[in-house]
Amino acid sequence: MSTPPNALDYNGRSRVFKIFSALVLAVFAIIWIVPMAFAVDTSLKPEAEIAANPTNWWSDHFSLAAYRKVIDGTPILTWYLNSFIIAALTVILTVAVTSMIGFALAQTRFAGRGGVFAFVLAGLLIPGQILALPLYQIIQSMHLLNTYWAMVLPAAAAPIAVFIFESFFSGLPRELIEAARIDGASWFGVYWRVCLPLCRPAISAVSIFTFVGSWNNFLWPLLVLSNVKQMTIPVGMSAVTGGFGILYAQLMATAVLGALPLFVVFLLFQRHIVQGVARTGIK
Amino acid sequence: MSQRSGGRSPLPSVNRRMVLGAGAGSLATLLAGCGSPVATGLFGAAPPTRTLTYWNLFAGGDGANMQTMEDAYRKAHPDVRLDSTVLSWGTPYYTKLSLATSGGAPPDVAVVHLSRLDTLAKAGLVSSLSPDELANAGLPTDNFTPAALQKATVDGTVRAVPLDTHPFVMFYNVEVCRKAGLLDGSGKLKPINGPQELTAALRAAQRVTGQYGGVVTITNDPSTNWRFFATLYYQLGGTVVADSGTRITLDDDKAVQALTFMQSLTRSGLLPKSVDPGGTTSLFSTGKAGFLFDGEWQIPTYRDTPVRFDVVPVPHVFGPKLVAFADSHSLVIPRNGAMDAERRSIALGFIKSLLDSSMTWAQGGHIPAWLPVRESPEFDKLRPQANYVEAATAARYDPPGWYSGAGSQFENIVGAAVAASQTTSQTPAGAVRAMRSGLQPYVTAIPPVG
Amino acid sequence: MATTIIDDGVSAARVTSAGNRSGPRDEHRAGWLLSLPFLVLYLLFLVGPAVYGIVMSFFNATTVRPGLGKAVGLDNYRSILTSSDFWSSMGHTVWFTTLTTPPLVILALFFALLAERLHRAKALVRFIFFAPFVLPVTSVTLIFLWLYAPEVGLVPHWFEAVGLPPPNLLGETKWAFISVAALTVWWTVGFNFVLFLAGLQEVPRDVYEAAAIDGANPVRTLTGIVLPLLRPTVVLVTMLQILASMQIFNQMYLMTAGGPGTSTRPVMEFIYDTGFSDYRAGYAAAATMVYFALVLVVSLVWFLLRRQSNKEVGA
Repeated sequence: MSTPPNALDYNGRSRVFKIFSALVLAVFAIIWIVPMAFAVDTSLKPEAEIAANPTNWWSDHFSLAAYRKVIDGTPILTWYLNSFIIAALTVILTVAVTSMIGFALAQTRFAGRGGVFAFVLAGLLIPGQILALPLYQIIQSMHLLNTYWAMVLPAAAAPIAVFIFESFFSGLPRELIEAARIDGASWFGVYWRVCLPLCRPAISAVSIFTFVGSWNNFLWPLLVLSNVKQMTIPVGMSAVTGGFGILYAQLMATAVLGALPLFVVFLLFQRHIVQGVARTGIK
Repeated sequence: MSQRSGGRSPLPSVNRRMVLGAGAGSLATLLAGCGSPVATGLFGAAPPTRTLTYWNLFAGGDGANMQTMEDAYRKAHPDVRLDSTVLSWGTPYYTKLSLATSGGAPPDVAVVHLSRLDTLAKAGLVSSLSPDELANAGLPTDNFTPAALQKATVDGTVRAVPLDTHPFVMFYNVEVCRKAGLLDGSGKLKPINGPQELTAALRAAQRVTGQYGGVVTITNDPSTNWRFFATLYYQLGGTVVADSGTRITLDDDKAVQALTFMQSLTRSGLLPKSVDPGGTTSLFSTGKAGFLFDGEWQIPTYRDTPVRFDVVPVPHVFGPKLVAFADSHSLVIPRNGAMDAERRSIALGFIKSLLDSSMTWAQGGHIPAWLPVRESPEFDKLRPQANYVEAATAARYDPPGWYSGAGSQFENIVGAAVAASQTTSQTPAGAVRAMRSGLQPYVTAIPPVG
Repeated sequence: MATTIIDDGVSAARVTSAGNRSGPRDEHRAGWLLSLPFLVLYLLFLVGPAVYGIVMSFFNATTVRPGLGKAVGLDNYRSILTSSDFWSSMGHTVWFTTLTTPPLVILALFFALLAERLHRAKALVRFIFFAPFVLPVTSVTLIFLWLYAPEVGLVPHWFEAVGLPPPNLLGETKWAFISVAALTVWWTVGFNFVLFLAGLQEVPRDVYEAAAIDGANPVRTLTGIVLPLLRPTVVLVTMLQILASMQIFNQMYLMTAGGPGTSTRPVMEFIYDTGFSDYRAGYAAAATMVYFALVLVVSLVWFLLRRQSNKEVGA
């Protein structure tokens, strides 16, 4: 367990193999970078130059003109705001309701607990977007179309998050809870003040995948957010880029702008995000 | 809510910016105010009364013309905030419009192809326009091209205000045709009648270009394949489906006849066998093809290229009577329970303003449906638009049906079959069989509306 | 005082957790109250749609009108099960799944095995492969539409550079599948890669050391020791990938819209086209249920495999 990192040179003999690994990965890494790099590159070139020399990487006239056109010509700032509010509300609601039931399933012995457990477990078998059509009808009959709630409420019904919390809460010692109970804390108090603060990793894992999932969701907002001012980033972009025709600098500027917020977040919290993904193992 | 939004915004500069674009506002305006997107998102609040939302599907040259027309409206109506959105063309647009309307949040005014109107009307998604209401708004029904107005009428009620007729036409390269001896003394294309003459003209053009006589898009564009086929097949008097799409009426002999002629052009190399929209543009604009069969809406595309061209109706290949395959853009007011009389009259005023700008719209190649403009001397002088003005009266549309209309499954099915024949991977008879089998499930299905 | 008790509790956790069976009344109430908010959402938005979808599939429901419309019995199922459009869209979904799953699993595993050997560069490599995964699908498809653009795109340009005639990357069915699959690999391989990296971390270090001392070469170490230990992760990643690929809609819809014609249209888009564009809610609901049944079978297989491998790991 406490092995120092250097001892990991378990096969120092195959230094050749290590160099080989690095080289192969470098080649693939370059392939992986090219699409993003070329998109950024194109977005900075004048349209006329792109038309004349589409595959050229260099330009003498790099500029941010296309970005200005996109920001002025589309409601992209409104979409950012919508995406952010929706994702934030979804995270708050999801963490709240799934951690509560996760706690209840893990630490309280209520009658019917086994049934609830199995019932929620069965939900893991229902892949979300397949049921878009009946869900749309339900949301429509609730008059929630074109509101943020059409996005937020269904997303919070996430069985996988329940089980992440459940397994985390199960790891907490029963004595901890009993002690708090003896101290006079209510069950909600035990959940809220004693247990929840102890499961930060689970909260961050659930928050991260919920946020990314909400931000990047496409089919569902495509259906429920038809008012252009209400759209999220991915749907808004797809709705208006048809109007750009073949103005590639503007198209690429849109793509870059759409990708930017999460990319920056990822840049800042890479470790957390990757760990969160590894922990949950879901999409 | 209405008190505040009725007046001018307290921040004039911000307000102006919001007016100018469908565009970006500052966070302050987004968050504040009852009509802000955030308020709508959280509480489902309606937008302010004097904001008019307008959806269309115009990109490129049409898009630019439409913007000019919108700006004219904004200038004349500074008190109304016109919020215009361009959405992706075709089925996605109609899906979005349908979902928005049935979801209770439609735009106030929307552009709709008349070929799509029947289904939208039967689904209860567009409001009726009574003759009185139209007349009061300065839009009396006898001021429209009859063929278009008729198509805008569903079950005896006008449901849409036609903006134009846009037929499928024939472009020709003036230089190529002059060298090929196809022009008359005044520099106009000599009339072409019948299959032999068209083939001969294409062959003459091919000798000049050294590559192709003409070009029509085949790959990745079922609609264009359908339009080309429909033009010739309608000339023969054929129909595809009837009774709102519940009965196949394909005339196999006529369909095979039309397809056989079309295939003879690609088989002999007069037309390319496989060419996508981009390839078509490049072939015709660089003089590698002397003729082009396409919609007149492509005129702005070629205006931007060095090619000198003119446009005429598609020749009478079959039959003596002029038959033009066409569609029309129109303006509708989607059904909206929350729309009050004031808002509706603003919407109609906007529609009227767009029709008054029909001359701008005609720049895109379209024939205005608004007769005061179409019959004006000004339009008469507009070339090449005036060359094919009679196509508006001879317009024939997609057949009515819930799966038919611009960019629909109907066009996809028939167009794909035509494309298979054009690439010679399928015989004409096989293509007709493919049409039948492709349409069969739709014909027999229980219609979702109507 | 509380602190003392808590400390005590932690150390004694394992010993006494078996005690204290049935809770008092308020534990019962608290359990239900804490479960309730989720259960309401779960019933309304996950179980509800599943049930309502089944009901709808027996009616001629119209998407743009509320209510169910006329009851049609099994008509919707009859026409779905005989619809060649539906079955070919199912075929496209299956074909896309077969095209994407092997590279997404094998490539991710390959990257992870190589990256595991790096120390300092590992974070960088992880960043590069995982970064595309956080991009919204629309950004990804805009970028690839540009890369694939006939005549002007970078990819056709590369084909020309190596002397091959550039294929019609999105206009020809065969290539459209490959092009969208390639996009998908680029976009999502990082996700599987991270899961494999995490799985590799679980492999005890001394296993490697023992192998190195035994003089096993890297390939032997890999096939003989690492891969068998990694089996649960491989199963997990493969099944998650199959389930994800089977739900293909977004990339396909944005890149080809199912075209040329409907030759690449996945079943999710078939449902979207019929249910939303054509307003045929009842008919599309029947399609949803048939498709759902198929996905359910795959999910169940995954479920059983996971339980089995969990047991093996536990044993």
